[in-house]
Amino acid sequence: MTEERRIGVYVCHCGGNISDYVDVKEVAETLAGEANVEVASTHLFACSDASQQEMIEQIREKNLDGLVIASCSPKLHMFTFRAMAERAGLNPYEYVHVNLREQCSWVHKGDRPGATAKGVNLVRAGVAKAALTHPLTPLRIETQPRVLVIGAGAAGMRAALALADMGLSVYIIERESEPGGWTAKVGRMGPDNRSGPEVAANLFERIREHQHIALFTDAELTAKSGHIGDFQVTVRLRGEEDLSLNVGAIIVATGFEPYRPRAGEYGFGLPGVVTLQEFRRMLEACEGPLTHNGRPVRDVGFVYCVGSRQEEGEDCPEPNAHCSRFCCMATSFSASLLHEVERKSNQTINQYHLYRDVRTYGRLETVYTQARADGALYLRWDPASPPRVEPRDDRLAVTVKDTLLGDEELEIGADLVVLATGMVPRQNDSLNDILKIPKSKDGFYNEIHIKLRPVETAIDGVCIAGTAQGPKNLAESVASALAAVARTGALLKKGFVNLEPLVAKIDTGRCVWCGECFNACPYGAIEKIHIGEKEVAMAIESSCKGEGGCVPVCPRDAIVIEGYRDDQIMAMIDASLEEAVPA
Amino acid sequence: MTKVSSELAARMKAMEGFNAGACFHCGTCSALCPLGYKILPRKLFRQVMLGLEDEVRTNIPAIFSCLLCRMCEVNCPQGVHIAENIRALRSLINRQEFGLQ
Repeated sequence: MTEERRIGVYVCHCGGNISDYVDVKEVAETLAGEANVEVASTHLFACSDASQQEMIEQIREKNLDGLVIASCSPKLHMFTFRAMAERAGLNPYEYVHVNLREQCSWVHKGDRPGATAKGVNLVRAGVAKAALTHPLTPLRIETQPRVLVIGAGAAGMRAALALADMGLSVYIIERESEPGGWTAKVGRMGPDNRSGPEVAANLFERIREHQHIALFTDAELTAKSGHIGDFQVTVRLRGEEDLSLNVGAIIVATGFEPYRPRAGEYGFGLPGVVTLQEFRRMLEACEGPLTHNGRPVRDVGFVYCVGSRQEEGEDCPEPNAHCSRFCCMATSFSASLLHEVERKSNQTINQYHLYRDVRTYGRLETVYTQARADGALYLRWDPASPPRVEPRDDRLAVTVKDTLLGDEELEIGADLVVLATGMVPRQNDSLNDILKIPKSKDGFYNEIHIKLRPVETAIDGVCIAGTAQGPKNLAESVASALAAVARTGALLKKGFVNLEPLVAKIDTGRCVWCGECFNACPYGAIEKIHIGEKEVAMAIESSCKGEGGCVPVCPRDAIVIEGYRDDQIMAMIDASLEEAVPA
Repeated sequence: MTKVSSELAARMKAMEGFNAGACFHCGTCSALCPLGYKILPRKLFRQVMLGLEDEVRTNIPAIFSCLLCRMCEVNCPQGVHIAENIRALRSLINRQEFGLQ
């Protein structure tokens, strides 16, 4: 330890949450006499305005240069107390948060002396860390008021329009030669019978008219560098010409891929077995009676949950566990479209819908109700005995155990069997290599928090929108696109962003560039630089998350993470073992 | 294994009053039936819609035992006209099985 510090230690009762199980007074009194501690006291609620005011006055009065508050989880109030320290004139990074509630009182409810002793050790470790803090300044990054949107489907186009309406400039790039994505190919959509191509054409028209949006088709992202607020990206047009762009943020709306059944899966490959997408195209093209193989169609079987909610098995080593959300509604809506054909062409078509659970949630329920009212018959099967589809004479035989009839095995003769194929992630390997957005178990891009941060990714400044994040119907895709716009707008309209200075620092004197840290970093925050003749690693502060994967792999011990430096961690360990291992 | 046939269903659909498509198999009707016939009425209607004629035939005693008390009908969450359906079915059976006009 270098020089004596003047640290304030405050132990919170949390209104009994802590003080019922930890003797907070004893903790404060024990710490009061220890090295570097200028003052130690307790507060009923340290987070309350009155307590904060009291602490602020004491910090100023006693000229404190370090602060430890032992209270709840840092997730709850670390930022509260950092802000308080700043108001008191202290550097917020000279504040150390000790979790005395989740990590002590709540888990040792039956042992007051033990909990109190542990509390002393935890606070002591906090003081040891605080004694080794020094003032840090957040990194201030100027943001560029331009956005790159990847994917010109419904989600991407809707996001582009909303961003442009905020006054931001938007580049929207599309790999295909036409914008519109799956929406433009789907035909009519439930529950309101809107035409997908019309929805897509409408968005495209508005984009063309908007002076702040530039749309590039036949365009792919080939390189990305920089950081939140200031990315350099390269877009390859028509596979030949490169375009360099400078943007402040990126929205990834790359969509989904329809599930392609394996050969033989529910008879896939047999004549008359089609996917939902293929069936919809048949309906779109149909004028007059619906025919197959030159014969009018009389019986149609629909198999739900194809490629969704799969269970692991020999023929399915990598199951899609997710529900694809849109298919129950889309298939039940197809029932109504088929009923329409039936009425128009005076044809009798019997519909058998073989489902596992009908998930037409919310308003979509009307689609399911309508289908049944029109005569579609729903039969429920159990995944333990899935339906079988086999050729029979020149038609198809579908065998199903109907659980609603007490598992009675039924054989349905069918002219067509429609497989309600779900959504799977797109195979975008080259894009994934550039963006490095973590994926969830199901292979879709992962959000930071499924409930509270549903469109932000682990890469700062990069949001995901639409079905790139997971299966959604169109309304949900647009909602997620607009959520991504809100986050992006909040970032770029402010003009700058402050980043945590708790990042990696590399001692270039020690570093010999072995590349271990470069390989360990999931955020692409390490780059190779030259100092004279020597190659060394440098941490890009604006990309670094302070996650620390680089620290233990460095064979030269050349890396530290600010706020978690080796000397701080060692001091914390020593302090918390002070009583157990006498010096 | 029972073969599904659309013939019976088509004949029933053609009759005024038969509606069972809305049924979502909650079982309220079976639970409330004062006669305690498990088949009444939800499974029966399903057999009709699937055209399982043999099953329907074996259940003729149950179909004609129904009291038409409508306990099931007033409690049906999907508004299926259960009593009307039973009447329609009886009428079809009278004609088809017993040759009554």
